[in-house]
Amino acid sequence: MSDPAAAVLIIEDDPAIRELVANVMRNEGYRVSVAEDAAGMDAALIRTRPDVVILDLMLPGEDGLSICRRLRAHGDCRILMLTAKSEETDRVVGLEMGADDYVVKPFGSRELLARVRALLRRGTRAPQAPDRRFAFDVFVIDLDARRLAAGDGAPVALTDVEFDLLACFVQRPRRVLTREQLFKWTRGRLPDPLDRTIDMIVSRLRRKLEAAHPGSGLIATVRNGGYLLTSHVGRTP
Amino acid sequence: MLRLSLTARIALVVVLSLAAAWLGSVAVFYLSIVHQGRSLRPLPAQVAALVEVLEHTPPAERPQVLRAVTSYTLSARLEPGIDVGATLASQRVSRLTARAMKVYLSALGGRPSSVTASGFTFVRPVELELRVGLRTGDTLIVDVNRAPVTSVLGLPVGFVAGLLGTVIGLAALIATRRQTMPLAELAVAVDRFDPAETPVRRLTLRSSVPEIRALLAAFERLQGRLSQLLVGRMAMLGGISHDVRTFATRLRLRAELIPNPIERERAIEDIGDMIRLLDDALLASRAGAGELDEELVELDQLVSAEVAARRREGKAIELCATETPFECSVLGDRLALRRIVTNLIDNALKYGGSARLTLQAVDAAVALTVDDAGPGIPLQARELVMEPFVRLEDSRSRRTGGAGLGLAVVRALVEAHRGTVRIADAPGGGGRVIVHLPLFGS
Repeated sequence: MSDPAAAVLIIEDDPAIRELVANVMRNEGYRVSVAEDAAGMDAALIRTRPDVVILDLMLPGEDGLSICRRLRAHGDCRILMLTAKSEETDRVVGLEMGADDYVVKPFGSRELLARVRALLRRGTRAPQAPDRRFAFDVFVIDLDARRLAAGDGAPVALTDVEFDLLACFVQRPRRVLTREQLFKWTRGRLPDPLDRTIDMIVSRLRRKLEAAHPGSGLIATVRNGGYLLTSHVGRTP
Repeated sequence: MLRLSLTARIALVVVLSLAAAWLGSVAVFYLSIVHQGRSLRPLPAQVAALVEVLEHTPPAERPQVLRAVTSYTLSARLEPGIDVGATLASQRVSRLTARAMKVYLSALGGRPSSVTASGFTFVRPVELELRVGLRTGDTLIVDVNRAPVTSVLGLPVGFVAGLLGTVIGLAALIATRRQTMPLAELAVAVDRFDPAETPVRRLTLRSSVPEIRALLAAFERLQGRLSQLLVGRMAMLGGISHDVRTFATRLRLRAELIPNPIERERAIEDIGDMIRLLDDALLASRAGAGELDEELVELDQLVSAEVAARRREGKAIELCATETPFECSVLGDRLALRRIVTNLIDNALKYGGSARLTLQAVDAAVALTVDDAGPGIPLQARELVMEPFVRLEDSRSRRTGGAGLGLAVVRALVEAHRGTVRIADAPGGGGRVIVHLPLFGS
């Protein structure tokens, strides 16, 4: 039923769960290695090349998120994330973390095995640099080339601060972003309480987007909150 | 009870004190007239002496004498012939003036004489005109003035003082307003205070008044304590949740080793219910602390995904298509919104046997209606079931599972999204729960 040659690496800080999961995997015939944190994982990776990594999101020291990015950067293994906080599930597999799938604790062995098998069936994928081109409304934004183009392909000229702000919105679409968050992400520090810089940049950005696509109303103001990008953001084909 | 702002009260105090000061100074002004009235006018004996001197002076030197006695308060001239007239008894003069007139007349001893008062204004006091028939056959006319007390500007001294007082009073009023301003700002700050936020010094108010400084400091301490309390509570809940989840995960995996398949299924269900209760409590306390996320969620997609998942499990559930499709974006926490929907669906399935959902746009809100085919909820119990840990079954048996947090959590989450939840009767006789959530952009 399962590929007997497949290797599974389990990274989980709770020893009981680690052993229980390892037993489930062993009973299915997988080659199993375990680690309790990032250092253990690095040691295990020298000995073995896992096909699937079962990774706990909440780990002492280097957390699962950071490990996930590291694995993604050099390697072609599949990552199954174990999450405790159900509120994070939406983001685990999203643009931000790059896991292939997730299971919410507490989980049963049947569910876990089904996910692992599904990941193995998908086969290895060629490691590729994550694409940072996104499409929203009629626009296409390239975060690496720092270019924004309207529907007809015509470039929209933005200043550096305007582009940085738009990048914040595009990476977190349809989510309310406070002035403090936006200031921190674009400037690297917290604003003074009466600083209106963000409001000014937002209104300039709005004008330019509106000029390129009239009536789009892309950036909405939320009472007492901040701003949000109303359109959906997708990967460009 | 009259409700006056602090500034209005202080203004009232200032105005009343000013009025009292004005009344006081006017009274003092008139009293000083009583005391100084005699000395400010030329003495009656002086006038009598002048009469005597003129009678004994040769006519050629009389103008010289007249010039000698003329001053600000007294001017005298001679007219040939006796033309005295009479003192009019009907003159409208004050008692003070009447007394002065009588004193002058009696000092002139027997000579034909009269006195006429004229020219009274508030600023210029009364002038008296004395006419005396001299033994030489001439008439001496003496105009008697009281020297008015004026300042350099030519206005009475009290007037300037009052004006100055008023200006100072107004300045004091403005200064008072500036002093009480921090209180009004503090009220705004207290209103906007959000304990869920990290305790930063939001108060930028400055005041040098010790009482107001004490109040601001006390408020900042309160803010700090509240934030600490909330942050501590959230951290504790988060910690408990994480640890319970770890134990539940072990238990869940170990439960699979139970040989009896019926007991195994029950144990797994119990663990599921336990985690659900934990999630509910955590979510409700996050909602209460204002810690929910805000993003645009398409409620219609969320609802149809949940309905599809239940239908795959073979549950009796249907989602009625809306007649007119509408943009169904709600600004809120995705997880909380999903929990609202799943709690309502699971309640309907558990207690009503089936669930029938409808989504409709009502004004600026979306109305989610969940009907079931159960016995419904009696009118008097509808408020009660939305309290935590209240269930309608008298037996309180755990047969149907659930801990009784379901509707309480729904209400907490809906209200955190500025929505409302209402229990009604379904047309077919079952229970109905209607949730209204504000639509984004309207």
